[in-house]
Amino acid sequence: MLALEDLAYAHRGQTAPYRFSMHAASGEVTAISGPSGSGKSTLLDLIAGFLVPTAGTMTLDGADLLVLPPEARPVSILFQSETLFEHLTATHNVALGLPRGTARDEARRKVDAALAEVGLPGVGQQRADTLSGGQKQRVALARTLLRNRPVLLLDEPFSALDDESRAATRALVKSLTAAHDWITVLVSHHKDDIAALAARRYDLREGRLLSLP
Amino acid sequence: MSATRRKPGAPFRFNRNGSGSIVLPPRPLRLAGGAGIALAIAALVVLILWSIAAAASVEPETARTAIDIPHLLAMTSIQAGLTAVLSITVGTALAWALNRLRFPGRDLVVGLFASAIVTPGIVVAFGLLAVWGRSGWVNALAQAVFGAPLDIPVFGLGGILAAHLILDGAFAARILLTRLDAIPAARIKTGQSLALSAWQRFAVIDWPAIRGTIPGLAAIIFLLAFTSFPVVLLLGGGPANQTLEVAIYTAVRLDFDLYGAVILALVQIGVCATVVLAAAALAPIPPSLGPSRGQRWSDAPPARLVQRLVLFLCVLGFALPLAAILLDGLGGGLAALLQRPAFWRAAGTSLVIATLSAALALLLALILCLGRAATPGLALRTGIGVPAYAYLAVPAVVLALGFFLLVRRLGLDPAAAAPMVVVLANALLALPFAVATLGPPLDAIARSRARLIRSLGLSGTRQFTHIEWPLIGRDAGVVLALAFCFSLGDLGVIALFGTQDFATLPLLMVRALGAYRTNDAAAIAALMLCLTIAAFVIIPRLFGSAADARA
Amino acid sequence: MVTSARLALAALLGLAALPASAEEVPILRIYTYDSFASEWGPGPALKAGFEQTCVCVVEFTTSEDAISTLRKVQLEGTATRADMIVGLDTAVAGEARATGLFAPHGLELSGLDLPSPWTDPDFVPFDYGYFAYVYNKEKVPNPPVSFEALIALPATFKIVIQDPRSSTPGLGNVLWVQAAYGERAPEIWAGLKPHILTVTRGWSEAYGLFLDGEADMVLSYTTSPVYHAVAEDDHRFAAASFEEGHVAQIEVAGILKSSEKQTLAKEFLTYLTSAEGQKEIPTTNWMYPVVDLGADLPPEFAAQPKPEKLLEIDEQTITANSRAWIDAALDALK
Repeated sequence: MLALEDLAYAHRGQTAPYRFSMHAASGEVTAISGPSGSGKSTLLDLIAGFLVPTAGTMTLDGADLLVLPPEARPVSILFQSETLFEHLTATHNVALGLPRGTARDEARRKVDAALAEVGLPGVGQQRADTLSGGQKQRVALARTLLRNRPVLLLDEPFSALDDESRAATRALVKSLTAAHDWITVLVSHHKDDIAALAARRYDLREGRLLSLP
Repeated sequence: MSATRRKPGAPFRFNRNGSGSIVLPPRPLRLAGGAGIALAIAALVVLILWSIAAAASVEPETARTAIDIPHLLAMTSIQAGLTAVLSITVGTALAWALNRLRFPGRDLVVGLFASAIVTPGIVVAFGLLAVWGRSGWVNALAQAVFGAPLDIPVFGLGGILAAHLILDGAFAARILLTRLDAIPAARIKTGQSLALSAWQRFAVIDWPAIRGTIPGLAAIIFLLAFTSFPVVLLLGGGPANQTLEVAIYTAVRLDFDLYGAVILALVQIGVCATVVLAAAALAPIPPSLGPSRGQRWSDAPPARLVQRLVLFLCVLGFALPLAAILLDGLGGGLAALLQRPAFWRAAGTSLVIATLSAALALLLALILCLGRAATPGLALRTGIGVPAYAYLAVPAVVLALGFFLLVRRLGLDPAAAAPMVVVLANALLALPFAVATLGPPLDAIARSRARLIRSLGLSGTRQFTHIEWPLIGRDAGVVLALAFCFSLGDLGVIALFGTQDFATLPLLMVRALGAYRTNDAAAIAALMLCLTIAAFVIIPRLFGSAADARA
Repeated sequence: MVTSARLALAALLGLAALPASAEEVPILRIYTYDSFASEWGPGPALKAGFEQTCVCVVEFTTSEDAISTLRKVQLEGTATRADMIVGLDTAVAGEARATGLFAPHGLELSGLDLPSPWTDPDFVPFDYGYFAYVYNKEKVPNPPVSFEALIALPATFKIVIQDPRSSTPGLGNVLWVQAAYGERAPEIWAGLKPHILTVTRGWSEAYGLFLDGEADMVLSYTTSPVYHAVAEDDHRFAAASFEEGHVAQIEVAGILKSSEKQTLAKEFLTYLTSAEGQKEIPTTNWMYPVVDLGADLPPEFAAQPKPEKLLEIDEQTITANSRAWIDAALDALK
């Protein structure tokens, strides 16, 4: 269980600070909706550790997360774009999710397995900038698999995709979340995405998270 | 979960003052490395000035000369300012034209332009005269066509600016071209699909890509022109057109007024530091740079016509003087020169020194730029970046003298220390250019990819080998070529440390000139130019393909 | 190529430059200006010639120009490794003497063939020449015969001179005008101004401009045409003879007091001023030798007219006033 209690933050010059409280459970997708500019990205940056809150707590299964720098948080992120290093191959991008010093053979095996699990067994040697939007997100998901972090943050991950790959990627996120017991937090302003994925829903309005039925 | 835990109460706990962003990954090693090198360079400058001042204190008081510093500053600043503005303008136009046009021999033309800045200024000045001078090609043509020579003002401010423009404008074009060539293909495709006009394309796509480079580049060119010495004396026409550097030279050489020299040097360092600081403050964080596949998008015919015209004029203006040097040198004197063992010795020495100092320059620049890119605070960033420009600010005669005194103080034999000092000095000479070339892309990578790098928890080493190096490999190649050629053409400290057995090609050229051997000197100049062009065509290509292969 | 790269590498590691540490063979360390010791200068031949007569090694350490060698020794003081300096000239001899670093040479020099008898106890002359304006006879059929005649020519007649602050001929020119015109010197400089194409840092830039046809005359030496005649068989060049007379530049060598090899240094000076050593000078430094070489002197040297009148300024006057004269000349040119 990922728990945020009164996590507060204000951007420079912002008069009314954000104050976030939410709970997200493992094995399911928690969706955050809200109009653009409502603070969805700020929320993800706080969870990922790119922003330091001014007050409040954040715990994972009771353990304090705020003390951890971004790279040490048990969190993977899928950005809307620039989620891969475009000058590297798919394999290379995925391999960056492995711990340092992984033996070459083992790395190859794991990367191939991850790419197969996301349904992209054949694209390993392609440079990231030659992949389609849906393929890029799948490659990023494959990297997430190898990183084996319990929290997955998705920042409008499907917005650049066409309907067909959108549905496929959504299904993939849902099945991976269930299979690996991830705590997946999805930020989206797309009703379809939320309806298809969310087990738990929040709406972000005026700096507060409102739990929706 | 592989995450390491910190004790509660560690610095990440809360950020009391509100907007705290910690996107940049902490890289203490990079920071320490950058700061260490910056400090070491600053310390070297202080040591050099100190050793001169210390030597001055044991000398009897000699005649103090009254030097009109404000007048010199004003004259020099006008000349240097004009040079910087003209060079950036012409350089931008030329880079724009070269970026768009594809033609056979383009690499050679680019190499030729790049080689201008590293060619000894005096050689370029003579090349300029061979084309535009009283007995030059243009006047010969005018004589043939109109029956009377044209009166072209090659001497005076016009001549100085023209020579500096050839040296610096072509260099600016080369550096700006690197930035234009590195614009991500996706951005160009977007522009193409929007059918941007040639002007919109420049304003929307090109300008943001080069904007970050311009202040640093302008500062370098200003400093180069500010401290220019032989060209100003040769083409200046007389004592009216002079630089502070000449006054310093006089103080050291003629008056042996070392205190005066140190004071003048401090004035010059002060002016140069102000310029560099201003440039650092003006420079915005550059936009992200990604892979480039080369441009396949041509502008509309009118713009292409302008591009061809720009290229034609620049080739005429820049390449003709250099061609004159080649023609002059590769004629009569070459065969005799190639039979001299002294030539081969000097060539060997030059190549070894150039290779070593190029490697050193690249290493120092990488440490400085990586350190700077890893630094969030502006003050610290500036502190790390500014000392790289030291060599441009410190007058060559002061630097040479200081090095000499320092070597003696350290108890070293000057003859034995000479090669090390020359390698170090040459690396420092290339450092501002290296930092100006590598700094912007590394900053861009650090800023635009920081989130991804940090969320993946990549180590500094992996960040460098997987992400930074593949993206800047081509730039590193340019830096290496630049530093190699700078060293090849440098005359700075070698003159003070030279012995009969230790000579480089430029020193040999000066020796030949001093012994009436103009043919030999011309041949050496032409060979150095050939080497330079070859280095600029070959080295970046080696690195570009190496970087691609890793990706 | 491989060998030269290896040589360069050795030089880089300081191996080639490092003398045998125990100095089994005494090393005579000579500071000199760069072109003296260069491939084309007299250095290599003098080194080889002297090493045949002594059990020693001659080692040249070079500076950009003569004045720099003096500055180097001044900086190093008595701790200098140099035994002697070769290449100072009479214009800076006074300043060099005043440093107190030089020892008397103790040689008998009355037999030397110089413009005027040699009496200097510290410095030994090894070659000389006269400052003069050099021109191309085909392009300038009627060269000016004096500074005043030069000033009277149309402004399109251009000359190149060197900066007196950085160049030996440049300084010589200032002394020349001073010796010829005294108080009127600034007036002469102002008159020359429209004719001066440019003022270069060193001799070679100025001479290069002249050879490239940018100027009609260049400040150089009366012996410059000899180079073209001997080395290039080109007889178009000549030095303009000025009615005011000409100033001589006499190049000298001096032994440093701090040297522990006084005898060896004196032997070198004896060799340098012997017919044996002197015959290397004319066709490398392109100056007159200080002894009568007879048939060993290329006939082109004898064919070149020497100035009819010699202008001289004594050493103390030069040392006391050269800075003021330079400033006055530069002011007139601004």
